[in-house]
Amino acid sequence: MAPSATHWVLKTAALLVLLPAPLLAQDDDPWSNEQWDDEGWGQEEEALPFNGFVEAAAGTRFTRDPLLSKRETLEELRWRLETEWNTAALSLRFKSDLAYDGIEKGWDAEFRDLTVGFRIGESIDARIGQQVLTWGTGDLVFLNDLFPKDFVSFFAGRDDDYLKAPSATLRFTRFSDTINIDVAWTPLFEPDVYLNGERFSFFSPLAGSNVSPDPPLAAVEPSDSLSNGELAVRLFKTVEGREYALYAYDGFFKQPTALTAAFEPTFAALTAIGASLRQPAGPGLVNFETAYYWSRDDKDGTDPLLPNDQLRLLAGYEWEPKANFTVGLQYYLEWTRDHDALIRNSPAAEFEPDELRHVLTTRLSFRAGLDRHVFSLFAFISPSDRDFYLRPSYQFRYSDEWSWVLGGNLFGGDAQHTFFSQLQDASNAYLRIRYHY
Amino acid sequence: MRAVLTLCALLVLVADGANAEPLTDADEIVARANLASYYAGADGRSEVRMIISDAQGRQQRRQFTVLRRNVEAGGDQQFLVVFSQPSDVRNTTFLVHKHVDGDDDRWLYLPGLDLVKRISAGDKRTSFVGAHYFYEDVSGRRPADDSHELLETTDEHYVLRHIPLDRQTVEFSSYVTWIDRETLLPMKIEYTNPAGKLYRRVEVLEVADFDGHPTVTISRVSDLLGGGQTDMQFRYIKYDTGLPEQVFTERSLRNPPRDWLQRPRSGT
Repeated sequence: MAPSATHWVLKTAALLVLLPAPLLAQDDDPWSNEQWDDEGWGQEEEALPFNGFVEAAAGTRFTRDPLLSKRETLEELRWRLETEWNTAALSLRFKSDLAYDGIEKGWDAEFRDLTVGFRIGESIDARIGQQVLTWGTGDLVFLNDLFPKDFVSFFAGRDDDYLKAPSATLRFTRFSDTINIDVAWTPLFEPDVYLNGERFSFFSPLAGSNVSPDPPLAAVEPSDSLSNGELAVRLFKTVEGREYALYAYDGFFKQPTALTAAFEPTFAALTAIGASLRQPAGPGLVNFETAYYWSRDDKDGTDPLLPNDQLRLLAGYEWEPKANFTVGLQYYLEWTRDHDALIRNSPAAEFEPDELRHVLTTRLSFRAGLDRHVFSLFAFISPSDRDFYLRPSYQFRYSDEWSWVLGGNLFGGDAQHTFFSQLQDASNAYLRIRYHY
Repeated sequence: MRAVLTLCALLVLVADGANAEPLTDADEIVARANLASYYAGADGRSEVRMIISDAQGRQQRRQFTVLRRNVEAGGDQQFLVVFSQPSDVRNTTFLVHKHVDGDDDRWLYLPGLDLVKRISAGDKRTSFVGAHYFYEDVSGRRPADDSHELLETTDEHYVLRHIPLDRQTVEFSSYVTWIDRETLLPMKIEYTNPAGKLYRRVEVLEVADFDGHPTVTISRVSDLLGGGQTDMQFRYIKYDTGLPEQVFTERSLRNPPRDWLQRPRSGT
């Protein structure tokens, strides 16, 4: 990471040097004037607006993970820089993160957004470049959203934004009265940021226990050819407050759940289709989503090295029973197809997923003091895996500049191999302090 | 010449204004006040900034641009709100399809996640982006949600009391409005809680004329029990800009319509 980070820092520095000095001065702070007069409004934004934040974050386990030397799960200083430049024809966006990560002992640099947006004709919006993409109706549960996720950030207690990892994607959206079409083509496969044993140990069915490989697990990725890209399509339309959507995806499973012939973790080929509906119902909102995952290279489910087909279903309801108190409930099902064939052919049948994996989620969120205080508890509970994951947090917005978050990631379960259970030794608490500029 | 103009203006005021036969029907006053406050022109745009002060005097700020389009006068409306300040909410967008018969549809776009979040209908008498204003203050409360009674007609105001038809969905037991007889703008609204205490006040501090529409340019909401207030100022107001319906769709959440958001050359 270090050489590319250095390279990046140099590039950023060069960019900053090249910018005209007045743009960096930012002497016309739109908020500097306390009076209700014209000056306080700031100029129309023609210059580049620079903003972002600096954040310090620390997190630690409640208990030691015997496989890892560090007890800490989060230890970083992060600098976000954002700007955008809009003309009649083009919109350029820049959003970068530069972080020193004390756990991985190195600099980490990332463009979360580095895109150019433009219109093609009247009805097509294009956005090309490194970007974060989201669709689907689930709350922290993803069926048709097969854009990359960063579960390591999520479990370590970084901001929720970091659950979504950027990808280098060409996105085209065509809007029309009949139906809207979204096409996102990611020419080079971008997997999830998966558990690799560096920050958190993970369960290995081959070892039959948690492992923390050194060097960290690096799954075998599909070769960088355009035929190994990802294509995601969404057809969507809102009619009378009802949001309908159809989805299709062609690419790979985003987690390294397959094995090569040499038993190295890798990504199985995946084709998925799905549908969703979201609409008001009673005092709240109801959402339904389904997806079918075809494991293209394991059609009959007999190949022990590859994941099987899955049918995924989600139903959710969210409402506000009291002012400032929001409750969200979701039921999620993963139905592994050809389960008999999977068990019959598996070298470690006891670690294979149940035919039906049920997960219930609840989101409780309470806002107080004009949203300055936000108390939140998100819980994943799987009755079939007999495991759980709780995400309590308290967020305080002290001012427009300063805010902090105190939270936890608590994992537990009966077995060792299930998804949340494997992270039992990763249960942690964290604190993040952020200064916005 | 100037004297003639002044005289003409005075005559218009006299004919149309305070000395005209006062309205006596509470529902009609409310309907006309609703039109004057929320439906001026076929559409409108305004830049808005808020200073939110808590009881300790600490301040937070918000700045955004609002686009509004009437589907029909006094009927359904569409709003698009695009935030520019502070930096953590920059480019957050908020879309409302307000329905007179039924609940509003509301979406919030969070650019950090590229997430279009739907907001449930119940959630409307809660703080709008951390201000003392409620979501409902921004897009307007439906006249049909309350019963209205004309308490008094003064030289300047119609004074009305409003009682919610469904007490479960609101935090007040009644509110009183002072509606300007001339402009029909509500100049002051005071809310009483179920304990009988006055706890919230919305007041208009400045009105100016834009394209022939008397328009609120400064208003204030005060928390009378907890302390604290939010001042809201409107600038760069323009009516009848020709905003098309397509501006008020998911497309604008992700890609705010720069052409329509641009500050008009004229106007204050």
